[in-house]
Amino acid sequence: MDFEVTYTEAQQSFRREVRAWLEANVPPGITRTPVDDADSLKRYQELRAFGRKLGAKGWLYPRAPKAYAGGGLDVDSTIILEEEVDRFGLALPPYYDSGGKLGSATIQVWGTEEQKQAFLPPIYRGDVRTWQLLTEPGAGSDLAGVTTAAIRDGDEYVINGQKIFVGSDHGADRIWMIACTNPGGARHENLSWFMIDANLPGITVQPMELMGTGGEGGTDPVQKNTVFFDSVRVPAFTLVGGENNGWKAASTHLELEHGAGGRIGRHRVWDRLLRYCQETKRDGMPLTQHPDTRDLLADIYIKTEVQRLFGLRNFWLTYAKRPRSYEGPQLSYYRKMTGLWMTGAILEAVGPAALTTDATWGSPEGFLELQQRNGIIAVHPGGTADVQRVSMSRRIGIGRVAREAAGTVH
Amino acid sequence: MDLALTESQEMLRASARTFVEREAPTHTLVALQKQESSLVPDLWRKAVDAGWPGILISTEYGGSESTLTDAAVLFEELGRGPVPGPFFSSGVLGALAILEAGSEAQRKAILPAVARGETVLAVAIMDPSTSWGPQAVTLRPQRVGDRYRLDGIKLFVSDATAATHLIVAARTGDGPADVSLLLVDARAPGVRARRLPGFLSWQDEVRFDGVEVPAAALLGGRDNQGWAALERALARALPVLCSYMVGGCQAVYEMSVKHSQQRVQFGVPIGRFQRVQDHVIRLVNHLDAARWTTAEALWKLDTGRAATDAVHMAKAVTSEGYLEACNAAHEVHAGQGSLMEYGLVAHTQMSRTLFAHLGDPRWHKRRMADALAW
Repeated sequence: MDFEVTYTEAQQSFRREVRAWLEANVPPGITRTPVDDADSLKRYQELRAFGRKLGAKGWLYPRAPKAYAGGGLDVDSTIILEEEVDRFGLALPPYYDSGGKLGSATIQVWGTEEQKQAFLPPIYRGDVRTWQLLTEPGAGSDLAGVTTAAIRDGDEYVINGQKIFVGSDHGADRIWMIACTNPGGARHENLSWFMIDANLPGITVQPMELMGTGGEGGTDPVQKNTVFFDSVRVPAFTLVGGENNGWKAASTHLELEHGAGGRIGRHRVWDRLLRYCQETKRDGMPLTQHPDTRDLLADIYIKTEVQRLFGLRNFWLTYAKRPRSYEGPQLSYYRKMTGLWMTGAILEAVGPAALTTDATWGSPEGFLELQQRNGIIAVHPGGTADVQRVSMSRRIGIGRVAREAAGTVH
Repeated sequence: MDLALTESQEMLRASARTFVEREAPTHTLVALQKQESSLVPDLWRKAVDAGWPGILISTEYGGSESTLTDAAVLFEELGRGPVPGPFFSSGVLGALAILEAGSEAQRKAILPAVARGETVLAVAIMDPSTSWGPQAVTLRPQRVGDRYRLDGIKLFVSDATAATHLIVAARTGDGPADVSLLLVDARAPGVRARRLPGFLSWQDEVRFDGVEVPAAALLGGRDNQGWAALERALARALPVLCSYMVGGCQAVYEMSVKHSQQRVQFGVPIGRFQRVQDHVIRLVNHLDAARWTTAEALWKLDTGRAATDAVHMAKAVTSEGYLEACNAAHEVHAGQGSLMEYGLVAHTQMSRTLFAHLGDPRWHKRRMADALAW
């Protein structure tokens, strides 16, 4: 066994190149907490501009095929890029792009050549930011029950309906969505995926006021929205994976969303929590030296380590093209439940200071307060923790349906 | 990065699995549960033929000098039984303690016989206070001329009833870590080992009643070096013990999946019930947490990396995981799981036995925090 990616001289030189480039190109203050809405928009624009720079080098989506403007890089180079970007507190992409990540993977597996040529390069270059639209008021865990309708009309589909708990702040260029293309058709045989323009007539985005958004893949979307579709006309070309074949295509999307890809990054909340506890004194000594706090920190640390190892294992399974079973939803379930459990553990370890964003009495930039909210909310997006367990059971071979293999990308 | 076993490790795993299935099937293991000694002569002889007691002993002392990961592959298979016997006590912790603490002459005198399975070691550390750590070692030998005289008790000693020799932690000074290791002939007059009765697996009481031990039995020949040597031995031995527990977790997981698929209630296999699924998921999460913390600790040790924190974490996670995995398995199995002949109980008992063995989870978590220098 070898838990470490070892680097050749060529790879080490690639790391030096990446590091030097990032040092020259990461905009200063890019990870700041925005002071107001205008600053938030400005920061988003900076992130997008930085994303396009990464895209031009093939570093925004390093693993994606070069034929579609991805980086075409191998796993080791991807790890180098992710590690180096992580040093700046950023991820790839550096902004919320869930539809780009999951939609592009699905298109790689299920799209036609023309669709790949049309949809993938703008994502991989960073020219577009894409939201994914799955959940509806009447279809959460029961994704197959979506009722937003996309009805064929000549060379177009006409979309009517409502999506909820989706997207982020500052809008999107593209939308990756699932809709019902055969209302009244058999369940699981009436759905289709679309990659559409986000700014078409008839699309209305209405921000929601929520206690948190859950944080997704190192890029907190900050805000969620309701999106209304009122007779939105889209070209038939935007339907990906075959009409009424959407449930099958969803397996690719959901497998990745459920953590099969794995990740290798550090646990950001843990790193900051430890530093906070080392620097914060109570009764004349650092929190880390209080026996009870120290015990709680040990428990927290171990869970973050197990989560890291599950992510590392999944990453390896993916890139070594090993057969997978329950590991994707297991990572997702573990991450979600650890986050929820940590809200209590951190509150106990740190006390009420974890609850305030006050600059004097709270944690730096309120990162602990954010975890208190996000740890609860993160249990739900991308398939609730309960859905992950259903998924695990099926893969283990004790659930309703025997093992199912998902189409996937490596 | 490659998290797969090597080809030769896969071969070792396959041969160990075949061996365990053939030599120690469930009904045999269940029948062994009531034996006074964990050592089954026929099984032990065959294991010696396979070279297992010498797996970690250097070639110069007659072993095969395998890596810890190799040993872990073997112990995971033994843990699936769980196969009893002084495999760990003698071949891993005992042998490593001799390697770490013994003089060159002592290693030469002892280790080849350990590798041949003729000498069987057990390591006696815990005193009747049942507290853990160097400060808790209170058994104090009296120095009489060129001999030590031992009077006292060691408790929860694994495999003492199987041992030919005991490595005894003894207090030889007043500093907290002033501990020495003495090699004591388990058949010497005044030594009595007795398996403790109850819900535990081959943990013994050892009484020393005026036992005369020659000064040459002091490992390393110098006083107060014992705990540091023991810690070095434990740092390498613990992840191998963890692998034994990982094997146990894997076995109870497989039992539970199979039972969920086969047991029918309300007209359907019980695995269809989400409550039952929850138990299986809890179990597999503990199994995988144990498996990967252990694997990473082994890899760090085998590649010479700093591993102290990883070893303590693995022991804490694995001890808790094995216990919880058995709890979950009992929930899946209900009455079936409590039948001695079914085989789950042997694991449950082993999981309890190893929970606090060589330091409980809380102790290891604290040492982990210390090692991380928070």
